[in-house]
Amino acid sequence: MLQKLAVIGLCAGMLAPTMALAAPGDRPKSRSTVDLESRKKALESGDEARALAALDEIELAADQKAAPLVEALLGRGASSKLLLRAIGVLGALGAPSSSTALAPYVKHRAADVRRAAAQSLARTKGSVAISALRDVLRSSDPALRGTAAEGLGALGAKEAVPDLFVVLPKEVPEAAGAIGKLCSAEECKRFVGLLGKLPFDVMESGFLPLLLRTDAAVPDAVKLQLIEQLRRMATQKASALLSTALASFPADGNPKIKAAIDAALHGRTVTSTEP
Amino acid sequence: MSSHRFMSVLAPSALCLVSCAAAGVNSNGKGLDPDWQNDSGASIAQVEQRLRGLPPVANARVAVGVSELGLAGVTLDGKSHWSYAGRPTSAPIIAGPLVIFSEGDRVVALEANTGNKAWSIASRGLSLRGAANDGTSSALILADSHKSVFLGVSASGAALGTTESKAALGIPAARGGLAFVPWSNQYVSALEIKSADESGRLLTRVQISQALNFGGQLYFGERGLTRFDEKVRFASTNQANHVGLPQVALPGKPTWLGSGFANSSSQANARTKIRIFAAPVAAQTGELTLGAGTFAASYFRVVFGLDAKSGALRWVRSFASDIVGGAAASSGFVLCDESGTVWSLDSSGGDAGRLELGRKVRLCALDAGAEGVPHVPARGGLANQIAETLDALEPDMAEAERYLVSELGKLPDPIVTKTLIDLSSSPRIPPELRLETRRLLALRRNGAEYMLSALARHYDFVSGVLLPPPVGPLADALAASGETRAAPLLAKHLNDPANSAEDVAHAARALVKLATPAEYEDLRTFFALYRATADDEALVAAVIACAEALLRIGGSEGRAVVERAAQDPLTQGEVRRALPEVLARPAAGSTPPGTPT
Repeated sequence: MLQKLAVIGLCAGMLAPTMALAAPGDRPKSRSTVDLESRKKALESGDEARALAALDEIELAADQKAAPLVEALLGRGASSKLLLRAIGVLGALGAPSSSTALAPYVKHRAADVRRAAAQSLARTKGSVAISALRDVLRSSDPALRGTAAEGLGALGAKEAVPDLFVVLPKEVPEAAGAIGKLCSAEECKRFVGLLGKLPFDVMESGFLPLLLRTDAAVPDAVKLQLIEQLRRMATQKASALLSTALASFPADGNPKIKAAIDAALHGRTVTSTEP
Repeated sequence: MSSHRFMSVLAPSALCLVSCAAAGVNSNGKGLDPDWQNDSGASIAQVEQRLRGLPPVANARVAVGVSELGLAGVTLDGKSHWSYAGRPTSAPIIAGPLVIFSEGDRVVALEANTGNKAWSIASRGLSLRGAANDGTSSALILADSHKSVFLGVSASGAALGTTESKAALGIPAARGGLAFVPWSNQYVSALEIKSADESGRLLTRVQISQALNFGGQLYFGERGLTRFDEKVRFASTNQANHVGLPQVALPGKPTWLGSGFANSSSQANARTKIRIFAAPVAAQTGELTLGAGTFAASYFRVVFGLDAKSGALRWVRSFASDIVGGAAASSGFVLCDESGTVWSLDSSGGDAGRLELGRKVRLCALDAGAEGVPHVPARGGLANQIAETLDALEPDMAEAERYLVSELGKLPDPIVTKTLIDLSSSPRIPPELRLETRRLLALRRNGAEYMLSALARHYDFVSGVLLPPPVGPLADALAASGETRAAPLLAKHLNDPANSAEDVAHAARALVKLATPAEYEDLRTFFALYRATADDEALVAAVIACAEALLRIGGSEGRAVVERAAQDPLTQGEVRRALPEVLARPAAGSTPPGTPT
């Protein structure tokens, strides 16, 4: 758990999702056209080495047209080594059609297979991916639940926020990051209200995305309340979080919030003028 | 004669060679003569005739608890509560209208109805082993490890007849001026309370260390009871009226009467809470039986009601506190718990009333007298009673849980199925007990609705369902019943990694029989996920069963999937070796409608 929290803490300062849950811009651009027919034969050959080589080529080419070949491989089943590689390649290709082929693998009995599938689903996206990751949040695999929470945050699955609140205090601190990104006004208020009730380390990863959100869903009053609570905590971690927020405050963010963060860092009380 | 029977006859006789020779020393009465010759029941028959016309004198109907403060008593009609401040060193004994116990170097008698002191007498440096009262005078047995003393005591507390013995004397009973004193495991001497002279002697071939007064009728025994009546003279030839308990394995191995050669203690131990309560009564046929056909066994805070003949469980209930004493009535039971509550239960275990001693107690003495406990409206069925009791038990009551689960499995009620499912899915149940509930569940052939409802559940971290249902046993039971409604539910469980591989294998085997084309996708997915990655025996078995199911319901598409896997070098070795045989088998039954083509 501590290790998990430490990793999350490290990520707290980062605005972008992790590499595993890469944003659309991270997807490799198609570099060459794949010989689909020969790759298909290789993937169907039953020769593990040949199939792995084909997958390497497909990933290198980054051509989404090859995704159905890999999806078919998952549909037929293969050795663990091939499955892991195929799941990774589909994630790298990021074709939304691949979510359907990947979804069953989040319930594979092998932990490494299902975790790889969950990570790839966060990259292939779509309603199937969201539905599968919401299912995964209910699973008996703690690490997988964390991956699912991150994935749901990355996919903007606002409908999953109630479930994320349920798992947050149950050793799924990754849910905080997702909630911070996705919460509605009421949900954000509820989230901030948990500060003091849940350990700071559990909630930390949600505060930064919440403070830096520029959409209208998060009322300024909630952000100001959070800033004031962090100021009152007067801990090193709270100050570090505010400093990071100030340093990475978006250009189109509300200057009032930025000023409040600055004031809090200088020990001045922050008050909300909004109801 | 079996060796066991032979020994049971021989042992008391052999013991007598030693102890009889030592009996009757230092006596002022003429009792306990070790040179006594078997009179074939003549002398005890005379004693029985002498007492036959006397009205029976039952012990007082009272409950007396022992606490740090002394004694607390309540009469079972609830009319009198009393307390006695002191430090009893023995358990209280209800003897006729008195409560007798030792305290310091005295034996003290209180009036059972009021708690007022009746008398006290020096204990002669000995411990109180037993006491009886015939309605007027009392008989005490005092003992240490070297000797036993019989002591008659008048109503005013004056010493009457006394005799001392190097043979251990057991717990006495009294009637009509006579004390009946068991000794040497096979004798009961009828001693005149006034003089300690012996007026008759009973020789039995069963072990005897206690004489008891149940509702005014006298009985002698240890493992079973012989009634003191006109047939008692035939006891030496095993023709007296006798009643015993059926052989039954109960939690904690409780005993009914136990040895009457042990001195009573005011301290409680586990045996205080693990006991059997049974009252002998004469049936209308004259046959000697146990009260209303039932006896009760306590195991800490659980009480089992058992059939007097077969030992089968008839009822069960749990209490908030441990049971620390009790007595059987002619029908029903009176029990006392550690909190000081005295419970009246009818012969079905129904709550017929309760009284309070007013304080916590560590042990209790009770006598229900000759009266029965009135019947109360029937409780729920035994299956429900077991379920409720199991629900109330803590994990440290594993022995009681095991017994109850085993009894549960014998009941045909559909609700038993639900209880077994709940137990199998309960995190409170010890692992070995869960295995037993699963075994019993697999054998159920009713309660299908409960099974289907359970199968609809899955492990769900968000909802807090942290144990999957017992998929394997449910699959076995439903397949044996041919319950096709289970097919979609079982198919979903194939692909739930929260289920054990063994459970998944059972589900797959059940689907060989139950699957319909509607389960094709789930079966195909499972086959794809594991035909090349199955890494244990159960999973391999599940994949092979899945192939069978696909062939049965999957039509040409299903066959193609299996054939392709059989040819694929990546398919797991054991699976690949098994598939040709599966493919070669003739299709079991016609392909259901809607089969994919």
